[in-house]
Amino acid sequence: MKVRGSGGKVQKVEQQMAPMIDIVFQLLIFFLLTLKIVEPEGDFSVNMPIAAPSQTPQDALDLPIKVRLTADPETGELMQLFFNNRPLGDGPEAFQQLNTQMLQLTWSGNSRNPLTKDVEVEIDVDYELNYEYFIKAVSNVTGRMLNGQQQRYAEKIKFAAPREPRARGAG
Amino acid sequence: MKFKKAESHNAEVDMTPMIDIVFQLIAFFMVAINFEQMQADERVKLPRDRLAKPAEVKRDNELVLNVGYDRNERGERTDRLGRVDPDAPALVFYAGDPTPVLNFAPKLKLEQQVFKDTGVDPREVTVVIRADSEVPTGLVQQLIKMAQEASFEKFAVKATQARDDT
Repeated sequence: MKVRGSGGKVQKVEQQMAPMIDIVFQLLIFFLLTLKIVEPEGDFSVNMPIAAPSQTPQDALDLPIKVRLTADPETGELMQLFFNNRPLGDGPEAFQQLNTQMLQLTWSGNSRNPLTKDVEVEIDVDYELNYEYFIKAVSNVTGRMLNGQQQRYAEKIKFAAPREPRARGAG
Repeated sequence: MKFKKAESHNAEVDMTPMIDIVFQLIAFFMVAINFEQMQADERVKLPRDRLAKPAEVKRDNELVLNVGYDRNERGERTDRLGRVDPDAPALVFYAGDPTPVLNFAPKLKLEQQVFKDTGVDPREVTVVIRADSEVPTGLVQQLIKMAQEASFEKFAVKATQARDDT
């Protein structure tokens, strides 16, 4: 009892921290290096009617809005953007105009135009067109961001019949 | 008493190597699980868009197709052997072997069969297309056409969310 009681004899078990810290640092570095910040992704739905579109539109409003994008066959860059056969140009302003056109068509003031609520947009692209322009066109007919909120224009988007490639080595 | 004490002191177990290995194992499994969950392919550089929004309802069945190019560290397109080739065809990165888009139809048929065998109607499956910004849109259309021939009906195209709120 005497031996136990005397404070000097109690052996303090020392924890060896250094190797653990080594490993923890290794882990930390490993995860720092392998960490890839995954950017949030979103998607757009695309309607794809099966092969033969047989329905005949009853009146003019059932006709889809046609957005046509032509491309440089060599580079796939956008050459011209058409909205119902009207050329809008080839730069960012063209997409801005497309957006404005869609806004005027589907919204009147603060409310949605009931006539064009279910309007369908048909996107007709050249084979070689870079995919990013297609996404831009889809985005601009879908809606716009207004004060952090989405203002939706058209909900139905479909592809026109595919076009044949014109350039070499596109496939 | 004195002698005994000295002996008990020696019987300590060294924990450090065990902890080392356990941590290594943990790290390994964390990474392995991460890879399994990712259906995205890092070779695909998605276009950016402000309006792209994650689907509000999580889709039960989706088939993610990554369409892109083999690239070197400088971002130039390469062929399968790593040689720079600006005309290298776009590939579908799916289940191991990258396949040129136009040869992908058999795999789609196979996938349709797998869905059917597991009791899922292929018409209920959303085919999510993650295509590189530079892929010709015609190829994406052809891929969609092939998917339709394999009786898939729902499609979605992906874009990275851009941050600016303009």
